[in-house]
Formats: sequence, structure tokens, C-alpha cells
Amino acid sequence: MPGRGKLIAVIGDEDTCTGFLLGGVGELNKNRKPNFLVVEKDTSITEIEETFKSFLARSDIGIILINQFIAEMIRHAIDAHMESIPAVLEIPSKEHPYDASKDSILRRAKGMFSAEDFR
Amino acid sequence: MRVDQQLRLDEQLLLFMDQLEALEEKRHKLNSLIEEGWFSIAKARYSMGNKQVSALQYASEMEPLVYVETSVLEGGTAEFKCERKENKTEELKNNTIEDIGAKETGLRRRINTTQKGVKEEEQETDAQVKTKAEPSTPEHRDPLKWFGILVPQNLKQAQSAFKEVITLSAEIASLQSAILATRKEMQAQMEKQEKTEKTQPEIKKE
Repeated sequence: MPGRGKLIAVIGDEDTCTGFLLGGVGELNKNRKPNFLVVEKDTSITEIEETFKSFLARSDIGIILINQFIAEMIRHAIDAHMESIPAVLEIPSKEHPYDASKDSILRRAKGMFSAEDFR
Repeated sequence: MRVDQQLRLDEQLLLFMDQLEALEEKRHKLNSLIEEGWFSIAKARYSMGNKQVSALQYASEMEPLVYVETSVLEGGTAEFKCERKENKTEELKNNTIEDIGAKETGLRRRINTTQKGVKEEEQETDAQVKTKAEPSTPEHRDPLKWFGILVPQNLKQAQSAFKEVITLSAEIASLQSAILATRKEMQAQMEKQEKTEKTQPEIKKE
């Protein structure tokens, strides 16, 4: 929609989604699919991956927020995403604190340096 | 020429390090705000009950209150800016004023809920009908209302923490994009420097 900003999508556990929906990012109506996915213990990896890919395919999503432990399950799909929009941001979860070494973006940034480069 | 390249590389490296430091700082703040939000939600759940603060309370229809403006700069860097819809209480007041004005000057029609003259009705409808329609939308939009009319302060604190998180997320997304762009530039610069060294080996030996 021209002139209208993009949405923020969330893929996370119940508390993460509840928090962000309280913040006002949620969109849910009869015509369109929701821009969030509550991941529970019985949610399959296929479903998570399909939802992630559907968010990437949508032109109205600007940022995708995803718990890092969920991102680990679909790491291959996240690493394959090279475009700048939508941006993928990994956030911690209650049981799994944020680990910078697992973050896709930081791994890409870290991978370039070797000892020879500074000679 | 080679000295210029090295200087350029040094500048880019310093920029890269600054960006990483800024990212580290914002990440740290984001993580602590999210944890604060979870803690507030847990406290609210403790006082309201387990089922009262859960996915079961989500509305069947939701409208987003915050959007993110995206723009792509030169070099492929994306910038993200959060924009929040403000409450339309000011528009409410304006509407009531306009309605009173229309009543005095225009023809007064009885409210007819059938299809005839829909446009005329919209201009000259009763002020009460119009004002009743407006207040429901700002309330209906506030996700806090999904959890009840009187919600504990903890839930409001959680909401404000997550609102800050959302704004910070947009900044971090911009910074991440800038870091990747700087990385690409540095890589290109290093490859260029290697090529220069290969074509001028005599200078290097000296």
C-alpha cells in the first residue's frame, strides 16, 4: 500500500508474542494472514520455516523478530536470506539468553577477518 | 595511491568497530528491556491468573498501531524508522465542534437509517451518534483492553517496555544493515589492495 509503513512480524514463544502484541505490532483480520506466530512445544519446524518464508515473501513486512532458539531451528533459512528488507532480528527468550556467536548477522560480519589481513 | 587505499581501509575499519560497539550497546539495552517486559507480564499473570494473560486473550481482529518506514540508501543499506499511530482524541473534539456548526446552518434532518440520502446524513447526522462511534475505535485498538477493563499496573509497565523495545529494534535493524554494508566495502577495498600489491611487487620488496 503506497504511503503506508511496513509491519513488524514476530515469531516467538507465547510471552514474547504477548509482549510485542501489547506494543501494538499485531495485525489480524479476516482477509489477511496474521503477522505473528506463537511457537509452542508442539509447533513443527516445518510450520515455523513456512511461516518465516511467507513473511519474507510479503512485501508489507519490514522487520521480522524471532527468538534465537527458534532461529537455531531454521538457521539454514535465515542464513539464506541476503536481502536487506525485511531485516531479521534475533532476540533472546526466557530460557535461552542472547548469544552473539549464534547471530547470523554477526557471524557474517565476524567471518571476514583473519590474522593476515592486518599485516 | 597505495597509501590512500590504506588510509581508506583504516577509516572503514574504525567505522566498522564504532558500529559494532553501538550495536553491542543497543543489543544490551534491548535484551534488558525485553527481560523487564517478561518480568512485568509474569507479575501481571501472578495477580490476574494464569489463563488471564495468555494467547487465549488475543483479539480476533487486530489492527497494527506501529509501522516501520523503510528506505534503501546508496550501497544497499536499509534504514528503518518506527512510527506509532497516535490516539485520535483531538479529531474527536473537532468532530463534535463541526457537528454543532452544521446543525445551526444546515437543514436539520431526522436520522434515517435506511439507504436514502446516505451522503446528506453523514454531513448532518446527530452529534451523539457520531461521537459514540469515535470513542470505540481508540479503545478497541489498545491491546491492553484484551486483558480486561481494569488491568494491573504491571501489564501497563510491560506494554511500555515492549513499546521501547519496538523502537530500539528498528534502530538495531538499521545498524545491522549498515554493518553488513561496511563489511562489504572493506572486503572490496582489501581485494583492491591485494591486486595493487600483486601488480607492484617491486615497491613492496623495497
